[in-house]
Amino acid sequence: MKWGFLGWVWRLMLIISRLRAFPERLAACGAEAAAYGRCVQASTAPGGRLSKDFCAREFEALRSCFAAAAKKTLEGGC
Amino acid sequence: MLRPAGLWRLCRLSWAARVPAENLGRRDVTSGVSPRGSTSPRTLNIFDRDLKRKQKNWAAQQPEPTKFDYLKEEVGSRIADRVYDIPRNFPLALDLGCGRGYIAQYLNKETIGKFFQADIAENALKNSLETEIPTVSVLADEEFLPFRENTFDLVVSSLSLHWVNDLPRALEQIHYILKPDGVFIGAMFGGDTLYELRCSLQLAETEREGGFSPHISPFTAVNDLGHLLGRAGFNTLTVDTDEIQVNYPGMFELMEDLQGMGESNCSWNRKALLHRDTMLAAAAVYREMYRNEDGSVPATYQIYYMIGWKYHESQARPAERGSATVSFGELGKINNLMPQGNKSQ
Repeated sequence: MKWGFLGWVWRLMLIISRLRAFPERLAACGAEAAAYGRCVQASTAPGGRLSKDFCAREFEALRSCFAAAAKKTLEGGC
Repeated sequence: MLRPAGLWRLCRLSWAARVPAENLGRRDVTSGVSPRGSTSPRTLNIFDRDLKRKQKNWAAQQPEPTKFDYLKEEVGSRIADRVYDIPRNFPLALDLGCGRGYIAQYLNKETIGKFFQADIAENALKNSLETEIPTVSVLADEEFLPFRENTFDLVVSSLSLHWVNDLPRALEQIHYILKPDGVFIGAMFGGDTLYELRCSLQLAETEREGGFSPHISPFTAVNDLGHLLGRAGFNTLTVDTDEIQVNYPGMFELMEDLQGMGESNCSWNRKALLHRDTMLAAAAVYREMYRNEDGSVPATYQIYYMIGWKYHESQARPAERGSATVSFGELGKINNLMPQGNKSQ
């Protein structure tokens, strides 16, 4: 795979370090995550059909909550 | 990702065409299984073995390697149980894809005289676990074994054959290096492994990006295992299945652990990036669809254990047709029949 000037291990490290904060931020957005999850799960019922942006509204709510949680964790100090 | 249909089970949802165009040319996948004994090296090339070696090397030299060993330790101990179940000693044994030697630590030097540990990652062999059995470490690929015919009494393999490109050939090689009346005991991941992760990623990617690429490598189906072992020449096959469910705080912790185990994806047509939005969406879907009461999320590892023997005249064979001297209808009188001494089959 073409990794550019970074070796694949370095990219891995970058990704992992960014991901480390994810669980904490996701925990702060439990309600939005549950709403998004329910929407996606509902589309898997018989007769449902999942397409792109089917749950865009729920995801936007989750994403803004997630971004707000990131600011909070930064301000609160790690 | 398409695999030879007779060998591998495809996911329930069909793979959408999201393979990056530049990867298509690198993959040489035939639609059938190559004929026995004439496999060319690049006939089945689904996994990047070079990358797998690098991943395993990286995993083996982490500061806390034991943190991610729990699954391999558990499966290693269950394979060791199966070795003990056979009332025999094995002077010479081989562990294929041994990692840090998860099976050797549970066996004793009465059962195994000398243990060869083979793996593609040198760091794993260097950081191997303590065992009382004398070992020899060999850097070898599971598909290209550097051993002569009729060498080993026992070959074991725990959770490494699912990254092999040409599984029929690997099994044939194992059969080749076994002595007559030798036994192969293997454990592989089964089709239901990580189905929660696979489905969450598919759903999230479909909703976020309009299509999905495979992120979990496909696994062998249990009936195919029987065929594969039979084709490779093994007798008296036994295949049984086990499910281990591990609970994680969330999807990211699961993926981190998979990486730590050296089990990251290395197929040629893997997508280079997983967008952060998609990961967030998948984590939300995973939690909503599969979580336990205490808030953790489960991940299922389905393990197939297989045992196959290399033919020897002393092994039990089915009796000749028409040689029965007792009929099934007399089964009710079995207590009368038993003291009469030898019963025929």
